[in-house]
Amino acid sequence: MKPIIGMLALAPTIVLCASVASAQEIKIWTLVQEGMPEFMEGTISTFEAANPGVTVVNESFPNEAYKTQIQVALTGSAPPDVFFNWAGEDAARLVRDGLAADISAYGASGYAKTVGEGWLSSFAFDGANYGVPTDAVSKYFYYDPAFFSDNDLSVPETFDEFLATCQAIRTIDSSIVPWPLGNSERWKLNHVITMLNQRVLGLDALAADYALTAPDDELFTNPGYVEAWQKVVDMQDAGCFQDAPNATSPEASRSMFAAQVSPMIYCGTWCGNIFQAEGYEDFEMFRFPALTDGAGDPGGQFLVPQGYMVSSKSEHPELAAAFISHIVSDEGARDFAEQIGGIVSNPALIDEVDGTRWFKFFVSDIATATESVNVIDVLLDASVANAYLDAGVEILNGTMTPEDAMTTIREAALAAKSG
Amino acid sequence: MTTAPRFRAVQLLLYGGVGLWSAFVLMPIAWMVFAAFKTRREIFTDPLGMPQTWTFDSFERAWGVGLGQFMFNSIVVTTGAVFIIILVSGLAAYAIARSTSMWMKLLYLLIVAGFAVPNTAVIVPLYQMVTAANFSNSLFGIIWVYAAYGIPFTTILFFSFFLDFPRELEEAARLDGCRPWAVFFRVVMPLSGPAIASAAIFQAVFIWNEFLLALLLLTQPDRKTLPVGILQLQGEFTSDWPAVMAGLSIATMPIILIFLLLQRSFVRSLAGLGK
Amino acid sequence: MKPTPILKPRQSVGVQIVQNQSVLVLPALLICTVFIFIPAFLTIFGSFYAFGLTSQNWEPVGFGNYVRAWNDDVFWIALRNNIIIVLGSIVLQVGIGTVLAAVLDRGISFGQTFFRVIIFMPMVISAVAVALIWLIILDPNIGILNAIVKSVGLSPPKLGWLGDPSISIWMVLVVAAWQYTGFMMVLILAGLQAIPNHLYEAAALDGARGFRAFWSITLPSLRNVLVVAILITTIGGFKVFDLIFVLTNGGPANATQVLGTYIYLQAFTLTNMGYANAVAVVLLAIAVFLGWLQLKVSRRS
Repeated sequence: MKPIIGMLALAPTIVLCASVASAQEIKIWTLVQEGMPEFMEGTISTFEAANPGVTVVNESFPNEAYKTQIQVALTGSAPPDVFFNWAGEDAARLVRDGLAADISAYGASGYAKTVGEGWLSSFAFDGANYGVPTDAVSKYFYYDPAFFSDNDLSVPETFDEFLATCQAIRTIDSSIVPWPLGNSERWKLNHVITMLNQRVLGLDALAADYALTAPDDELFTNPGYVEAWQKVVDMQDAGCFQDAPNATSPEASRSMFAAQVSPMIYCGTWCGNIFQAEGYEDFEMFRFPALTDGAGDPGGQFLVPQGYMVSSKSEHPELAAAFISHIVSDEGARDFAEQIGGIVSNPALIDEVDGTRWFKFFVSDIATATESVNVIDVLLDASVANAYLDAGVEILNGTMTPEDAMTTIREAALAAKSG
Repeated sequence: MTTAPRFRAVQLLLYGGVGLWSAFVLMPIAWMVFAAFKTRREIFTDPLGMPQTWTFDSFERAWGVGLGQFMFNSIVVTTGAVFIIILVSGLAAYAIARSTSMWMKLLYLLIVAGFAVPNTAVIVPLYQMVTAANFSNSLFGIIWVYAAYGIPFTTILFFSFFLDFPRELEEAARLDGCRPWAVFFRVVMPLSGPAIASAAIFQAVFIWNEFLLALLLLTQPDRKTLPVGILQLQGEFTSDWPAVMAGLSIATMPIILIFLLLQRSFVRSLAGLGK
Repeated sequence: MKPTPILKPRQSVGVQIVQNQSVLVLPALLICTVFIFIPAFLTIFGSFYAFGLTSQNWEPVGFGNYVRAWNDDVFWIALRNNIIIVLGSIVLQVGIGTVLAAVLDRGISFGQTFFRVIIFMPMVISAVAVALIWLIILDPNIGILNAIVKSVGLSPPKLGWLGDPSISIWMVLVVAAWQYTGFMMVLILAGLQAIPNHLYEAAALDGARGFRAFWSITLPSLRNVLVVAILITTIGGFKVFDLIFVLTNGGPANATQVLGTYIYLQAFTLTNMGYANAVAVVLLAIAVFLGWLQLKVSRRS
């Protein structure tokens, strides 16, 4: 079939003449992100200065369309040499489909000198490196310390204390939403259930289900999954969320916290700068609370590593790998941390970084995390992740019970496993 | 004598009904413009109120994300595609209308069949073909795709127009020594002004607003057309709703203005779908 | 096609003017073939295979994708929602459009153009912009609809206008009606203005005025125009994508999923492209049937 499409595609190409890339050019695809253009401009100019005759072309894409876009580009005839990706199922599939290049050979003289084994493992498959993480994003509860001290509230450390905090806030004023949840795009609650699954079951118990390697009769049958969803219901019953989380955009929920209308929000490490831009920066942070009776490591922390991979069709894989090594070099990582504010994989020069108060907190706090928890919609097969996303919406709307939710998710997992 | 007050009451009722729907139509548009002038706090605290100060700050912020570029891309794509549609459909419809051969009738039916195919239904292979041909993120590429989906309907329009076209004029031009091509370009096309205008406006409105293909094929920020470009406003400004609303105002006001200026032609063109 | 009884010599002129006629049809045919017919063929062809966005080989599955659709609840929800949108839009857009057109045509004496321009205006705005504006109007936290509803002492839906699965599809209908009713009105108005005045005068002599004239003269004369309007609305209701994609993206939890958004979800988010093709073939079949019907009807009139 493929050849047919290829031939059809060729016809207009011949007639209309597509452009031809020059010999010493590498193309890099990045994500549209605050500070990224400045960082790329700087790092490309130092790289080009060190490698005369080489041109690096940077093309950047917004988050939403990127996942589809990169997959298609890689199967096409002119994919980028270097491309951004999240560590997880998407990266693994690219490797399985032979679209990502094994760059292990270029490690010893480059990125492996500056990025640790643990970090590299996020893009390693069958003992070979297919990418290099530059940084990771994490999530914390941001809270309003003034509100907490005015009302004699203390930072909750366990899940039960957290529920009590929600109830206490509602007692103070029932119109205050303790934690605005902007779930209109479905991923906000997905990040919460990611953490709850880890807290209730522990990563070891999750692994076989997430990877769809568990036997059919055991797949997603652990009662801990239902219990994790029940915690969401508990939070809703404790009055933690506002009435219409599924109709609230993530932007609106962040605004409610930044305007100090709400005293707490579970938000990414990138949110601090957003709150600051909206005129609020006196917030503090705490980690996702521990479960006293949970099997998971309470030191586990939400962490999504992200970095760059090389296309298997690249004509200059060595140059491509060298460019990635350049990004994660000591100076590269320093600039990356300073300009983009990422939790970088190479912290050698982190002390030189003139970061915000919260940036410094994140860097030092994540260093003490004992386990990293990758997010469900990155980790799972797309259809199972979709079932999880939809189930979250239905649980919040009260149209599904936790048991119903796991039934549909198990069905999706069984279908994905057999298909 | 008794009918006059009753007539007036009915008139009042009818005006009330039409006025109500007009208000319903106008309100969101008016609100969009007002919200653009508000501050972030005003939108949040006083959603129904009027803006306190009339500054263009949010318009400047919105313009900064590249609305100018999106608008330029939309103009390029729309004019390019409409030009191709008019030219290609005009030629095809003329040839078919002036032919008696069965084969040409068949060709006409074939082109007309394309009218029924929605791009949503063929999006998977269409997307694969265009990306395989390296036409994604190419304005030049998407112009041809847009042209294809405009040709069938325009050919139908032109075909019925050319059937009624007075052949005496063509004959006269030929007797004056015009070559066949010249007859088409110098006599037929110039005298088809109203039909061309109708078809052009109709296609321009649809291509200017086309979303699905642009969403999939134009992903690079500097290649996006307006409908896809404005979608990133909310991501770009997170919760800066005045800027989002200013961006939407900038994106929609030009087309509304053009519509107000040419409303008669717009209405005639789009109502032509019913014929 | 119109029968054109023309004299022989004239006919020969027509043929001579365009000497090699098929050459002139070629560009149109070529463009349509490459971007419409081949993709349509490949959609049908691909619906018998399983393949993803990045997979290099296609696995033949026979009618597997169609069996899957038959057993897929979301597919039926999507089809049902398309039908709800079609029926709801006929009632709202064609219904209100007819009433508005009748009022503008004979009901009111001043300001017809003014009202026509205003009511038609949303038609020229992109559905994406329309959806974005309404998204904020319907927002449960900052939206003005909540503020208006509260100000008259009512309580807005707890889960939000677009967050409540039993309300969201109706909100989609309202927004669609906001945008397209003016279009229907203009379409029908053109039909009304073609009704000869003497019919009304004759009816007035028989004592039929106002609403009775509307029933006995206007509606029957409008039959063809109304059929076309209903067909256009039906086709639009099956093709709908932009509005829902931006407004709800098929949510909450598939409550507003339609065939268009479901094809997109399956193809580009879940990368089940073979299955997406099978769903697309269903949409294609519906659209081709309706398109054929529309051409038939409009040619007769």
